[in-house]
Amino acid sequence: MANKRYAMVIDMRRCIGCHACTVACKAEMAVPLEVNATWLKIIEKGTYPDTRRYYLPRMCNNCTDAICARNCPTKATYKRDDGIVMVDQHRCIGCKYCIASCPYDTRYVNPLKNIVQKCYFCSHRVDAGLQPACVETCPTKAMIFGDKNDTKSEVAQVLATNATVVLKKEMQTNPQVFYISADETVMSNVEKDINYRTEGTLIKIRI
Amino acid sequence: MENGDVNVIYSVQHQLPLVMYIGQYFFFTGLSAGSFVISVIATLLGRKEFKPIGKITAILAPALLIIAPINLIADLEQPLRFWHLFLYYNWTSPITYGSFLLTAYPIMGIIYAIMVYTDRQKAAKVLGILGIPLAISVHGYTGFILALAKARALWNTAAMPTIFLVSAMVSGIGLVVIIAAVRWKWFDKKATPETRDQDKKLILQLATFMAYIIMLDLFLILSDILVLLTAHSDAYEAGMLILTGNFAPLFVGVEIILGSIIPMILVLGPTRKNMTAIVVASILVNIGVYAMRFVMVIGGQTIPLS
Repeated sequence: MANKRYAMVIDMRRCIGCHACTVACKAEMAVPLEVNATWLKIIEKGTYPDTRRYYLPRMCNNCTDAICARNCPTKATYKRDDGIVMVDQHRCIGCKYCIASCPYDTRYVNPLKNIVQKCYFCSHRVDAGLQPACVETCPTKAMIFGDKNDTKSEVAQVLATNATVVLKKEMQTNPQVFYISADETVMSNVEKDINYRTEGTLIKIRI
Repeated sequence: MENGDVNVIYSVQHQLPLVMYIGQYFFFTGLSAGSFVISVIATLLGRKEFKPIGKITAILAPALLIIAPINLIADLEQPLRFWHLFLYYNWTSPITYGSFLLTAYPIMGIIYAIMVYTDRQKAAKVLGILGIPLAISVHGYTGFILALAKARALWNTAAMPTIFLVSAMVSGIGLVVIIAAVRWKWFDKKATPETRDQDKKLILQLATFMAYIIMLDLFLILSDILVLLTAHSDAYEAGMLILTGNFAPLFVGVEIILGSIIPMILVLGPTRKNMTAIVVASILVNIGVYAMRFVMVIGGQTIPLS
């Protein structure tokens, strides 16, 4: 019997961009203002009348080869046996090296607790046999969560029978959040490209 | 981007994780490592005229390295938990190497300085030889901190640790030249004209050495930029950011022109015998290296990741 390996599949054919996952996450994990553990990226493509919005729910990918866990100097970031990447909030010194190392920008400094936090796939709920808050809230059941090593689980079956993609595969992190039918532009570094095109400079400095 | 009109309606970007405290820390460790290497060279050559320089740099190295980690602790979100670094180390993290190196190196430096000041030449030489790898790794590991933070294309290059080491040497020698020149100008009155001439010659030699290392630094930067521009798309953006983007004034203007090319001309050109020109060059070099730390640390993080 193989180890458990939690994974999430997000079916973008079902996502309606309602932000319910963001709200559920904020409420469940008490995420302060200014920061987000889960959020919905929305872009708009085309010119009227041929336009469409594309969504992408974003959260920690709980990577199998997590750069953050490798780079954490105190092992405050560690991986559970079931693959969830955790942050020990009593051990974290807030050096923010993990934030600098993460290719997905999913980590943040909690301005109230002064430590680094992120999405843990709602490990406390998963341990109690529940689904993560975002998955349970999703009104269109676009999010599917479970043990992908258990062949009878829905997530394993969906992963086996659908074309899935992950974010920034080239980073060798082996992300565990999979997307079905996600748009290439919304998955790419679109903000960078837009700034470059419209303002002639790459970046607006944000400090 | 070739796919017509794209607007971002909503996206979240978190704040810059590393601020200028980190760049300042890189700057100070660089100065310390550079001056330590100069001090050891002076001790090893053992000539009498090198002694003043050897002494100045022996005291500079540990003093600067005591300032440097204060920046690191100030940058922590939980400064009082800094001792976790020693208790809960993680050998795959470059910061763990750093926390032990940053403890060992100043202790070594202080013992070395005591040996130099009490004129125990043999012990100073042995400690100096042992200390050079330590000084190099104390500054080299800071390059690895950036290089191993894989997410940022500007940092994730193999050239990063070497560029950091070489620019550390440049700024370290620059600081030594400034201090030696101040000593020569105002605190060296009792010396005979011959020793004053000797000291001046020594300072000029140091400055020439600095100019050669600036050339090496420029070559490394050139190779880094060339590879960035021809590698994958994120690396290209990072290269363009510092060449033509928001960080171009700091990178091209301050780091390359003001901090490398002008000092090189001042030191090797017609003003090469002029003490004022050489001090100005050394100050410019330090400004340039500080700008380099800023461009690397802040610039590397400003490219949005999503």
